[in-house]
Amino acid sequence: MLRILLAVSAIGLLLCGPASVVAHHSFAAEFLPDETGTISGVVTQVWFKNPHARYYIEVSDDDGQVVTWDTRANSPSLLVRKGWTKESIKVGDQVTVHGYLGRDGRKLMSIITVTFPDGTVLRDKQEEPN
Amino acid sequence: MFRPAHRYLILLLAVITTPSPSAETGFAGDWMIELHSADAPITGLLQLEKSAAGWQGYVEGGPVDVTIAGKAIEVRVDSRDLSGFVFYRVLRGTLDDGKLVGHFTIERERASTEREGTWTGVRKSPQQPIDDPQPVDLSGIWTPARGVDFRKYSMDLTPQAEEWHGNYLMHYDQPNVRCASVGIAAMVAWGAYPFEILETPGRLTFLYEVDSEVRRIYLDGTPQPEYYPPSDMGYSNAYWDGSELVIETVNLAANVRDFRGEPISDGASMLERYWLGDDGKTLNAVIELHDPVNYRRPPIRRRMWTRNPETRIYPYECDPESFYRQMYDEGRMDMYFERADRRN
Repeated sequence: MLRILLAVSAIGLLLCGPASVVAHHSFAAEFLPDETGTISGVVTQVWFKNPHARYYIEVSDDDGQVVTWDTRANSPSLLVRKGWTKESIKVGDQVTVHGYLGRDGRKLMSIITVTFPDGTVLRDKQEEPN
Repeated sequence: MFRPAHRYLILLLAVITTPSPSAETGFAGDWMIELHSADAPITGLLQLEKSAAGWQGYVEGGPVDVTIAGKAIEVRVDSRDLSGFVFYRVLRGTLDDGKLVGHFTIERERASTEREGTWTGVRKSPQQPIDDPQPVDLSGIWTPARGVDFRKYSMDLTPQAEEWHGNYLMHYDQPNVRCASVGIAAMVAWGAYPFEILETPGRLTFLYEVDSEVRRIYLDGTPQPEYYPPSDMGYSNAYWDGSELVIETVNLAANVRDFRGEPISDGASMLERYWLGDDGKTLNAVIELHDPVNYRRPPIRRRMWTRNPETRIYPYECDPESFYRQMYDEGRMDMYFERADRRN
């Protein structure tokens, strides 16, 4: 059974902070800068389109209830420069996603990393100039 | 009651401790300030004015808190970090030999990657006459570089703009989340995407990766058609002031200045000045937005790019599905359509 691993940290993660995952939208409008979480589940939909790549992930909690998370990566045109392509994450993939949690308790996450069962890690991190 | 001798003593102390008016008035005027830290340098325009109400300060066109006493000055500048969160740069310094010198610190509610450092200020040079044209080669692909811009948060909005902005819903009202153009005033200042400059006789063409926008900039004075609708890119003419390219863009369409959502009105204009670094590998710009309907003084942005022949301009296919789907899932579609008047 898949598990939700919500590891909320009050502060920190500044060196790989939200600045590195925001392209041109206001991260502040939708996400919590100081609270991160980790989910594991199966990719059910892939949207590799601007303004943001988006992956829907089905996650089972401890009670066996399945919930769908909306996880968002950077703009595809920025991701591809790091080797993260449309084929990097596919429907049916088992993934563990670590990212910033959405506001208002929504099942929303801004991706920091995506980890595959073989240990491969995709990092959505960008040293964005201001 | 004080006896006379004590009165004289108090007056003497007051004279000694009261800042000299001449020292304070030395601050008034326009200053170019530079901030240095472990990060890339930052440049900005500091304007200091004194009225009956006291000192008023502005950085990059936006209001700041200013305290001046004798030769000492403190300026508190609200800025946004790369994620959109507000923090403050607090500049403390002194006026010595006609220059401002000091140290700045960072204040914010949460921990920050912003660095403290030192700062200096010199009088802004008066406007110079336009030099003879000495065009330089700006062609190529330019990638945003770090630093330069203050990222000043609040601007000097008119009451009309304050009212509009007070009802702005970040994310839901931002044009580009639904794949609508955010407009050149915001686009030119974004730091994530490269753009390409093409040079042809009498014209420059700027190709922006974000939104796949195209901008035609006429160097030969090609006039606007009799009627040219306001648009997100506006209508641009340019000239060379020595080796600096000056672009005057008019007829901008109503939009927002950045994702914070401060408005731009139909017919606003923009003034940009571009110049190459000494090595020819960096491109610098200062960008002023002129929109008296919404701003009592022009907001200023500064940008720097590096020449990057190794990259290409990537396609920017945009699909608003993700935006509308979220609205639908959250039961907010009605709210979106009820706010249609804000998108005119």
